[in-house]
Amino acid sequence: MPQLLSAKEQSLFRTVVRNYEDKQYKKGIKAADQILKKNPKHGDTLAMKALIMNSQGKTDEAFALGKVALQCDMKSHVCWHVYGLLYRAVKNFEEAIKAYKFALRLEPESQQIQRDLALLQVQMRDYQGYLASRRSMLTARPSIRQNWTALAVAHHLNGDLTEAERVLTSYEETLKNPPSKTDFENSEAVMYKNSLIAEQGEYQKALDHLESAGKHNLDRLAVLELRATYLAKLGKSEDAVQAYRALIDRNSEYKTYYDSLIEVMGISKDNQAKKAVYGEYAEKYPRCDAARRLPLDFLEGDEFRGAADQYLHRMLDKGVPSTFANLKNLYSDRPKKEVISSLVQQYIDGGKSEANEEPKRSGDTSKGASSAFYFLAQHYNYYLSRELDKAMDYIDKAIELEPQSVDFHLTKARIWKNYGDAPKASEIMEYARTLDTRDRHINTKAAKYQLRANDGVAALKTMGMFTRAETVGGPLVDLHDMQCVWFLTEDGQSYARQGKWGLALKRFNSIYNIFDVWQEDQFDFHSFSLRKGQIRAYVDMMRWEDQLREHPFYTRAALSAVDVYLKIHDRPLLNGANGISEVNGEDAAERKRVAKKARKDAQKAEREAEAKKNEPNKASKDGDNDAKKKDDDPDGVKLAATTEPMKDAMKFVTPLLQFSPKSIDAQTAGFEVYIRRKKYVLALKCLLAASALDSHNSKVHQQIVSFKLALDRDSESLAPKTAEVIKSEFKLLPALLSPKDSPSIEKDIASVLQLPTITFGAAQEALELLNSWKSGEVVTFKTSAEKKWPKAKIFA
Amino acid sequence: MDIRLLKPSDIPHVQHVNITNLPENYFMKYYLYHALCWPQLSYVAVDVSRPQKTPYDYPRIVGYVLAKMEEDPPDGVQHGHITSLSVMRTHRRLGIAEKLMRQSQQAMVETFGAQYVSLHVRVSNNAALRLYRDTLGFKNEKIEAKYYADGEDAHSMKLDLGFIREQITDQQEEDGDEGEPIGEMGKKGEEVNEDSRVEKKRKVRVGRGLGVGDLVEKNESQKA
Ligand SMILES: CC(C)(COP(=O)(O)OP(=O)(O)OC[C@H]1O[C@@H](n2cnc3c(N)ncnc32)[C@H](O)[C@@H]1OP(=O)(O)O)[C@@H](O)C(=O)NCCC(=O)NCCS
Repeated sequence: MPQLLSAKEQSLFRTVVRNYEDKQYKKGIKAADQILKKNPKHGDTLAMKALIMNSQGKTDEAFALGKVALQCDMKSHVCWHVYGLLYRAVKNFEEAIKAYKFALRLEPESQQIQRDLALLQVQMRDYQGYLASRRSMLTARPSIRQNWTALAVAHHLNGDLTEAERVLTSYEETLKNPPSKTDFENSEAVMYKNSLIAEQGEYQKALDHLESAGKHNLDRLAVLELRATYLAKLGKSEDAVQAYRALIDRNSEYKTYYDSLIEVMGISKDNQAKKAVYGEYAEKYPRCDAARRLPLDFLEGDEFRGAADQYLHRMLDKGVPSTFANLKNLYSDRPKKEVISSLVQQYIDGGKSEANEEPKRSGDTSKGASSAFYFLAQHYNYYLSRELDKAMDYIDKAIELEPQSVDFHLTKARIWKNYGDAPKASEIMEYARTLDTRDRHINTKAAKYQLRANDGVAALKTMGMFTRAETVGGPLVDLHDMQCVWFLTEDGQSYARQGKWGLALKRFNSIYNIFDVWQEDQFDFHSFSLRKGQIRAYVDMMRWEDQLREHPFYTRAALSAVDVYLKIHDRPLLNGANGISEVNGEDAAERKRVAKKARKDAQKAEREAEAKKNEPNKASKDGDNDAKKKDDDPDGVKLAATTEPMKDAMKFVTPLLQFSPKSIDAQTAGFEVYIRRKKYVLALKCLLAASALDSHNSKVHQQIVSFKLALDRDSESLAPKTAEVIKSEFKLLPALLSPKDSPSIEKDIASVLQLPTITFGAAQEALELLNSWKSGEVVTFKTSAEKKWPKAKIFA
Repeated sequence: MDIRLLKPSDIPHVQHVNITNLPENYFMKYYLYHALCWPQLSYVAVDVSRPQKTPYDYPRIVGYVLAKMEEDPPDGVQHGHITSLSVMRTHRRLGIAEKLMRQSQQAMVETFGAQYVSLHVRVSNNAALRLYRDTLGFKNEKIEAKYYADGEDAHSMKLDLGFIREQITDQQEEDGDEGEPIGEMGKKGEEVNEDSRVEKKRKVRVGRGLGVGDLVEKNESQKA
């Protein structure tokens, strides 16, 4: 029943709304209570009160009151709208959409509700619903350009390019006068339309449109780039050549431009001609790097030698510290690798002066020599040309010339890392840090190496030198606030190495939550971008957000989390089944004790949290709506005490498999979890996918064996249908290995040490694998690994 | 090293480069805000030489410039502002920072009619000072005392972009265009606030809840 208020109360109600907008929550509640005293069942007032309470952080009470409001007045769009807003606030978008839809049915003319609904629909990628909303918004207000553009975007996102283009054209036809050249909204709309035409493959039309409507467009670069692309696609080579040349003149450091130019010139296979093109730009732009560096990719033999020599001289004379970083990708080509190191050697031997054509800078002769030593140190430290003793020799020579160089010490620390001595590496990195305490990059490195050496306390202290001092809760809170993914990941991995599962999971969960935030972050831009008129960038963002969790930052943290859950799951099993003590020598009783304590702690934490909840909320002040929720499990004790680690792991596995199905690590991680959950069909699916990606992967082989073993063990429990499916699919796997084959696999794995490119990390992994199989190869492996990395600790 | 426009998908790596190199850090949303308001102004340097390791490799960003237009210029003159610039230590002195800056400056004039570009730099940051002053031609405007959260002073610097305007006019005349002056578009500052940033202590409230979203809530209540 709609309820009527007296004139005085109506004005009070308006005050409530205003108070809410101005965040004067206490006043708002007071005014609402005044209305409610006389009209205790006034739905709209109850709803507004609920909304205010929600802003005060009293979510549960707000929901309860919101429901009461609805019971009082089911026919009020305000009540439904508020109900939707409450759901939106707790991120339950599906329920919010439902509530908004009710509200809209009661009040079809409300632009506000329509708009809120549309925003949620596009956030949830309900493109059908979004289209409908956008259509009705356009019908309501066709004079606003934004509404046309928005409808076009809705069609575009929904995959209907033609219709999107048509909508934009319809709007253009309503214009009496052409918009001014500096009308940004129009300028962008033209480019958006142009991109739609091109996306439909109509390059000629797109080119014509660009040359007419886009001629004076404000986004100059986009016009130049698109024009060049269209010309190339249409085979108009001469014009395309000019277009790409114009782009290089604008920005001579973009490989794509050179590649395209060479393509449209038709000289892809003609090294001489290509060299001439690059040479021309190297001469034209003395400060340009790309024109000098890129030819090294395709030149061979003497020509390579000549060009590389010139390049090296230029960089070493100047003492550019990034010279090696800029050249190392050439190392996949063995002859080039050799030529480069011999050239640098010559540079050192020749005292550099004769060959040097460029004028010396500041007459500093040590600059060239020390950067040459520095280069060779990096050369011998690189995994494709690794000889660590030589690397150490050269870096010491460089340091002798410039004892204060941060970069040189940084490299020295890296060499120690590759020796496998994490503590020593960390010690040197820390020294490098003290050489330039104002540079955050070296500070970051020092902290990272401390984490690698499992010294989290020191790492946090190091990080704290650059985090904001005023952040309540210290550096760790600031690093969370600032979404410092690398630190949280490394910190988690460090805890995992130390067997501190709780803290490890805590960090990986923080990464998971950061990705949630990144997904939510797009929300405001659904409306904001339209207001700003920046459409192409908005569509770009939407596409990226659709794939957000394929990002390697997510993958890395998720894989680490799954790994920890697997260890938690396997621990009790390991004790019981095999009775073999683990590598780190913890004995079974101790482990049980720890697990028991963890469970107890968790229960205690839970009880305390429960007690706190029931306390009157003293801290919450009026208007203080973003007080942080207190973390009731700061050390992840609860996380680690899980009784269902495999179920918890699914939280991380599901996005891995959904967004990175072509990652072999994702598939093998999926397998490990599914096999333990006895989901054999799903496990097999992962196994098949992994084997299709790389049938020679040693992990895949190992999993084939364990799949077979698990099936043999568990064949009774399988439903006949499932057994059938598995049987037919399993055959598809490569040369089925029986457990009898396992010694040969172990041999395979042990032999990785012979690979010339083997890294310390890979050897460490191989050892873990052999350990987990209780392989007889372990001892031999360790002995030969120790020979290879005499300074490493873990093979001893 | 490629120098190219920043795309939204670059942002996590840009954020990584920023927090690795500088003490002034931002939420992802603040980067998005730049990338979506002024997509022409921010650039990245990408190491394209790295061989692909997985099908999901993202371009490895080694440097970036994050730039914007001043939204409500106190002096009423359209101008750009450099929010942040940094290059990984492993890739410094290759000319990356200089080139990032030049691309951004060009677009500030072309797309948004900027008259000048401004920035802040720590008084102790010699490398950056040399870059701005000697290589790019910035002039010292004034010193802002205790500008940074840790109490350090900032040079407030400015570069007049008239030279880019002239180049463009010359170019247009060469091309036989009418050479209409660009700029003057004086777009009114949008009302979106920038609270998702935490660059400088005092003025700024922290908390992403106070970001662009604040506005939306407000509009909703107006109807309710
Ligand atoms: C400042 C910074 C961005 C420079 O990046 P860069 O890519 O190495 O700089 P460039 O190679 O483009 O340098 C261009 C010019 O700047 C000057 N310059 C740069 N680094 C310098 C240094 N360490 N010492 C002296 N001059 C330097 C030089 O004049 C150089 O020209 P040159 O190489 O021909 O002599 C980089 O050092 C950095 O990221 N530092 C940490 C973060 C930071 O301070 N950002 C600036 C905040 S306002």
